[in-house]
Amino acid sequence: MVDVLIVGAGASGAVAAARLAQAGFSVVCLEQGDWPDYTRARAAFPDFELTSGRDWAWDPNVRGAAGDYPVDDSDSDITALMWNGVGGGTVVYAAHWQRNMPSDFRVRTLDGVADDWPLTYEDLEPFYVRVEKDWGVSGLAGDTAFPPGDGPPMPPVPLSKLGRAVARAHNRLGWHWWPGPNAIATRPYGRLHACLQRATCLWGCAEGAKATVDRTYWPVAVDRGVQLMTRARVKRLLMDPTGLVAGALYVDANGQDHELRAEITIVCANGIGTPRLLLLSADDRHPQGLANSSGLVGKRLMMHPFGTVVGLFDEDLDSWQGVWGQHIHSLEFYETDASRGFLRGAKWGLQPTGGPLSMTRSFPWGVENPIWGSDFPRKLRQRLGRSAMWGIIAEDLPDEANRVVLDPTRTDAFGIPAAKILYRLSDNSQQLVAFHQARARESLQAAGAYETVVAPFIRATGWHLLGTAMMGQDPARSVVDPWGRSHDVENLFIFDGSLWPTSSGMNPTATIAALALRNAEHLIEQRSSQRVAA
Amino acid sequence: MLIPAGDGLPSASQAAAANQGLDEVLGSLPETEVPSAALLDQLRGADPAEAIATLQTDDPAGFDLLCTVVAGAYFLNPEVRKAIGYPGQQAVPIVPEEPPDYEQDGLLASVIARGPIYRPTPMSS
Repeated sequence: MVDVLIVGAGASGAVAAARLAQAGFSVVCLEQGDWPDYTRARAAFPDFELTSGRDWAWDPNVRGAAGDYPVDDSDSDITALMWNGVGGGTVVYAAHWQRNMPSDFRVRTLDGVADDWPLTYEDLEPFYVRVEKDWGVSGLAGDTAFPPGDGPPMPPVPLSKLGRAVARAHNRLGWHWWPGPNAIATRPYGRLHACLQRATCLWGCAEGAKATVDRTYWPVAVDRGVQLMTRARVKRLLMDPTGLVAGALYVDANGQDHELRAEITIVCANGIGTPRLLLLSADDRHPQGLANSSGLVGKRLMMHPFGTVVGLFDEDLDSWQGVWGQHIHSLEFYETDASRGFLRGAKWGLQPTGGPLSMTRSFPWGVENPIWGSDFPRKLRQRLGRSAMWGIIAEDLPDEANRVVLDPTRTDAFGIPAAKILYRLSDNSQQLVAFHQARARESLQAAGAYETVVAPFIRATGWHLLGTAMMGQDPARSVVDPWGRSHDVENLFIFDGSLWPTSSGMNPTATIAALALRNAEHLIEQRSSQRVAA
Repeated sequence: MLIPAGDGLPSASQAAAANQGLDEVLGSLPETEVPSAALLDQLRGADPAEAIATLQTDDPAGFDLLCTVVAGAYFLNPEVRKAIGYPGQQAVPIVPEEPPDYEQDGLLASVIARGPIYRPTPMSS
């Protein structure tokens, strides 16, 4: 029997494990995948662009690694991307470190749609500050898109030629920009090395400069006594006769089942894995799944529709180098303006476009804009090193029809039912993305782009898996309370992105991490009154 | 057909993408050897332009594989990399002591002068 079982070794699991162990809890984390194999991070090798998509694939259905499980996305406009292993999504994220803005916590109050969060920006701000120091974040305090306060501990990444060009254009337009906040070390910091700007962040950081929790939090947590067990897949949560969660049944790499008993269980398995596990844990007393008296487990899936606009420039921008990562970001059109015909907004991050093989791909360049044939030499020279790209993270509003369910037919390698997602883009999302793409074109044109390309919509953009175990005050309208504790099972907690009542239009890791720290501290404070499994 | 010569660049065949380069690609991506061989068998003897057009329409995945293998081999050629000015993903250390350029030339000044652009938390919260 341990004090705390954590399911999942991604961002929220790592933050919780490190903090709880520091407070004296005995902690075991069950992780279905492995540690990342950074020998496959080949940024310094000529075949980097060839092998990166295979070795660091974002789609579990494509990757098919030992830690993965199938996700049926045949009824979804967007496919779900994730990394099932120690580090979770941070292993392959772009490390854009975005706090949510104050309005993100008050969507119902300010915009009359969806829901308010049961906390404010001001409630979370101290945890942002603390987690940014532990995590290793670079950026510049004073961003006018956020309330004043402490900023990240390291200076921002260089603006680069492309960042400066777009920044000057935004100054002329009177539009917001700011040096990009990134979870990338700009100098040696703790266990992180300084970034070497190889622009390979999305495919395993070979330098150890990108702040991934396998490199930052987990070594600390293990030093504090946390037992991190890999290739340990949880099949279901176990209940005791009093209605408390008693731990988990898991299967090891050899197919052997084991029971792990814990006083408290925290699920940190991402916006698909968490509802899958709760639904898998249905029993006679919980026929709809565990912690699901509201019926909301798995519902309100939000995945952030993604837009991309590329600009082609005459000047050499070295645009296969830098961070990837964002050189600058813009929140000019983030806040709601109902006159645009839709609600909510999006964040833009300015990124490089990659090496020569990336110049030949249908994304972002478009199948209608092929490079092959007689135009190849000219188009290659136009694109390579002379292009910049806005990545647009669009808020999608919650809809109970967008959801995660158990796959009725498919199973994973251990015979456990797979996940199925059902997700449709709303009219609001489509209008929002179209508006932002149009403004992003104007941005790049003002920066001197002689041609712009709006990337085609592609499905493989579901990096952010949010909302499927919503937090709130009302047990009838939420799965967990404002501290991540199940309304139904009082020693069961959820700390990952499943909690989010609305998605914001930001990359979510900063808020996932800050919420995990806040919730862990609350659990520590309430320790004496917390009912636990015997 | 996919990569002709021009603008100071060799064609794929001139760059030996089909020989040594192909071996290098298959060394990095051994899992593509069988499907690549099947694809080449399928294309052998056909009119190249017509075969590629048909492949693009009827078998997009096969077309993507062909493009990856051919372009991958092409871009592994050191002469091609030199001609396009691409040395690979280079290590470019960040120089921390250098004052940020936006502080030197006041690039951020107008953003700061404009003031906050966010909606604050409503007072009722």
